[in-house]
Amino acid sequence: MRRGWLALGVVLLAAPLAFQDPFYERMIALVLLWAVLASAWNIVGGYAGQVAIGHAVFFGVGAYLPLLVYTHWQGVPLLGIPVGIAISVGIAVLIGVPTFRLHGHYLSMATIAVAELIRLLVTNWEFVGAARGLGGPASGRTIWDLSYRSSIPYYYIFLALFALVLGFTSWMEQSRMGYYLRAIKAGQRAARSLGVSAPRYKLYAMIASAAFTSLAGSLYAVMLGFVDPDSVFGIMVSVQMVIMAALGGAGTLIGPLVGAALLIPLQTFANSLFGGQGNGLTFILYGGIIILLSRFEPGGILEIWNHYLARKARKGRTE
Amino acid sequence: MIALQVVVGGLLLGAVYALFSSGLTLIWGMMNVVNFAHGDFVMLGMYIAYLAVVALHAGPLVFTLLAALTLSILGAVVYYLLIRQVMRGPMLAQILSTFGLALLIRYTVFWFFSATFVTLPGSALGGSIKLGGILIGIPQLVAGILAMGLTIGMHLLLTRTTLGSQILAVSEDRQAAMLMGIRPDRMQALAWGLASASAGVAGALIATFYYLTPTVGESLVLIAFVVVCFGGFGSVPGAMLAGLIIGLIQAASAYYIGPVYKDVVVFALFVAILWVRPQGLLGTV
Amino acid sequence: MRNVLVCGVVLVLLGFSALAQAGTPAVVKIGVIEPLSGNAAAAGQATKAAIEVAADIINRGHPELARLPLGNTAGMPNLGGAKVQVIFADHQGNPSVGQSETLRLITQEKVVALQGAYHSSVTVPATAVAERYGTPWMVGDSSSLVINARGFKWIFRSTPIGSNYAEAYLGFLTDLSKSSTKVRTFAIVNENTEYGTSVGGEIRDVLVKGGFTLAVQVPYNANSMDLSAEVLQLKQKDPDVAIFISYTSDALLFTKTFKALDYSPRMVIGDDTGFSDPSYIQNVGDIAQGVVNRTAWDIGKPGSATYRINEMYKAKTGVNLDDTSGRNMQGFFALMEAINRAGSTQPEAIRKALAETNLSPNQLMMGYRGIRYDATGMNTLASTYVNQLVGKEYVTIWPESAAHGSLTWPFKGWR
Repeated sequence: MRRGWLALGVVLLAAPLAFQDPFYERMIALVLLWAVLASAWNIVGGYAGQVAIGHAVFFGVGAYLPLLVYTHWQGVPLLGIPVGIAISVGIAVLIGVPTFRLHGHYLSMATIAVAELIRLLVTNWEFVGAARGLGGPASGRTIWDLSYRSSIPYYYIFLALFALVLGFTSWMEQSRMGYYLRAIKAGQRAARSLGVSAPRYKLYAMIASAAFTSLAGSLYAVMLGFVDPDSVFGIMVSVQMVIMAALGGAGTLIGPLVGAALLIPLQTFANSLFGGQGNGLTFILYGGIIILLSRFEPGGILEIWNHYLARKARKGRTE
Repeated sequence: MIALQVVVGGLLLGAVYALFSSGLTLIWGMMNVVNFAHGDFVMLGMYIAYLAVVALHAGPLVFTLLAALTLSILGAVVYYLLIRQVMRGPMLAQILSTFGLALLIRYTVFWFFSATFVTLPGSALGGSIKLGGILIGIPQLVAGILAMGLTIGMHLLLTRTTLGSQILAVSEDRQAAMLMGIRPDRMQALAWGLASASAGVAGALIATFYYLTPTVGESLVLIAFVVVCFGGFGSVPGAMLAGLIIGLIQAASAYYIGPVYKDVVVFALFVAILWVRPQGLLGTV
Repeated sequence: MRNVLVCGVVLVLLGFSALAQAGTPAVVKIGVIEPLSGNAAAAGQATKAAIEVAADIINRGHPELARLPLGNTAGMPNLGGAKVQVIFADHQGNPSVGQSETLRLITQEKVVALQGAYHSSVTVPATAVAERYGTPWMVGDSSSLVINARGFKWIFRSTPIGSNYAEAYLGFLTDLSKSSTKVRTFAIVNENTEYGTSVGGEIRDVLVKGGFTLAVQVPYNANSMDLSAEVLQLKQKDPDVAIFISYTSDALLFTKTFKALDYSPRMVIGDDTGFSDPSYIQNVGDIAQGVVNRTAWDIGKPGSATYRINEMYKAKTGVNLDDTSGRNMQGFFALMEAINRAGSTQPEAIRKALAETNLSPNQLMMGYRGIRYDATGMNTLASTYVNQLVGKEYVTIWPESAAHGSLTWPFKGWR
């Protein structure tokens, strides 16, 4: 097991060297970004079993703050990160406290509605640029602007963040909180009979999830240099986080990475190969894959892998 | 006068909201499944109406029936091929499955029709009439009245007919229904067919006064969610009432507060309802 | 001995021709990034068709288009007859995808220049990538001021923008007030994404400064199901002129709502985009008679260059060329003219040629006063006409120098 992690670490660290091409370098940086986002969602969606589809709120808040700091006060964008996290956590508490009293679909509905609400408010709020969005520094003024031409520095920044989320998730998995979350996921009534305060632990999971999502959003904004309501608060952002975690395997440690590593290149190549024809093939493929996945193997790719390993083990035993 | 205009406009649109939301609430209440593709079913209804007019020169009655029929078959097929298996699985899979379905339907239609906006040719139902000092668009009036009628019809179907009571029985207590010789599987497929048909009809009605575009499903499904939660999941009368109220609130906020805020008000209300009275107006938790 | 000499001469000649070919490419690649899927796909596809027609014109000789640069030649003469090859990419309306595709076109497809991207929200970050990689970019359609306000050197914009449109409306309405038609109050109805908010704001500010009174500004959500509230607000304030900044779907719905509510302002001005879309005339043309629009595109008389270009576009797509696609086509021509003038595909040479562009009105297909860029890359001679829908065509009515007809007042609509 240890060797597996070591191998993964080496591969991730060395990946940029394999691609001596700016386009692919950018693509793998985005893979890691989405791996972080999917992992962040995984904390509350995979481990605690709460299917929230509104994480774009945290992503968007995290993305806007650095560029707000730059636009209004010419400050260093990085200064916006802690503020973004604070606001995201605040929103998480605000939604979480009333919403976690509800079950199942209500949470999904509530999170979608809140995310849409905030998107609409931002679109009409002049201070944050309304529909025009906000831009970042055109080119780096100091090293703290983190403005690079190449995608490689961003790749390593996201890699560090990914290691952080993974570390947290691993710690949580093995701690008491992880135990409680698994109980909650299995059945809230059963969990309550064990004396687990379901709303409290769901809230903790949501807070952690929101904080990491916000952080990733801020770094994304620094890399892109531009945000607008639709690109960071849109519902597809939330949906993609969920799909990547689910595709890889929600509730597992590296499921989100697997999902991101598969979907981002798929999307990118489908668009580059077919997008120019302009016929939405990318999304048709996307939709088809999601349907097949949810119909045949909701546990995701890792579950398929586990089945395969189990079958091999069984065959080994009969010989 | 303008106030009355706003009110009537809102109620008429609300009636259409009620129609396609009643299908959603039926499925939700019965199987605890949220159909994220519901808005795209409505969109399919719109395009079927369009095709019927263009290819068959069909009149409103024909294209509405065609939409209802096609969508009901689609609904049943989706149930048998996808929903039945996914229902037994984790919540995540259920949500993802209909999301994926929404994307698939939306972009397949996009493939064929690309992005040019189309409207139903020939205003068979065009024009407007003056009633009591206000102007009402004839398509909107017809759509509203028809939608209301069909929603009431659905409610009566569910509560006054044997078939309907069988469907409701399954949603109330699956085991007990089975013991009574009702086949849950078949009832659920029927419910899906019924719900999809109502979406199809709503689409055909909307097509008479709105433009057709493959991506319209995205916004429609959100409205449907709001209506369903507001009305209480599982309750068709609730959806009816909620649809009218939401339509009214939307129209009023658009006029009195500002057009850009109409959705904000609706969503804010929605979130408030979820927290204060999650079972909605007429639902049972 | 003689054989050796012959071989030697042949080898030398081959070597020379190889060198010559290495110096001038047989194909010049241009990347065009537009929304080919998503809500704006109709505009993206129309632009794609227009640019394909332009590329075809450049690659083949068309004597009847001799007045346009590169119209009469097959390929680009200063580049050894090299043909232009356009590679289209879809940004799906997503800024991140826009940046990725820009990167791909530059580093993998090795395009020598780029054009795009319709959505200002994509053009702004994507041009930043082009600037970082030192690749020239032609903006043929986006209107945000930010694009040229960042001190970039590689980004050039041939199209008029919000301030140009505002000036056109001011000129038109001022001229109108001098005549018997009294125009004093105006309303702005704008969709609330980037386009509507910035252009709407600019028009409002310019008109107010020009002495007109703002009766009401009605921002609204694009792609609404119902626009009666917006129209009712207009009815209440009853402005002389209402200026709409809307995409196609809303333009269609507004027009239908006017008829349904039996109200319309005395003048309806549709700020291009939605109102110029071919499906607008197709679907509601008969109830929108007299709607005023702005365009820099005039089809012109049969036999003229613009007429022939329109015929080519119509043969390909079945509809007339619209203003937005036309502006993109013009941008493309301007870009290729510069590359040809540079006689090289080296980035700096192209950039210098672009900066030195000086095209006069009769070298253009659009109604600009010319193309000359200032230090920030904006076309100082960009301008626009004002036209009005008569029957199934828009007829230019302002300025007088370009007018084919005069204003019909008030707005007839369906009546």
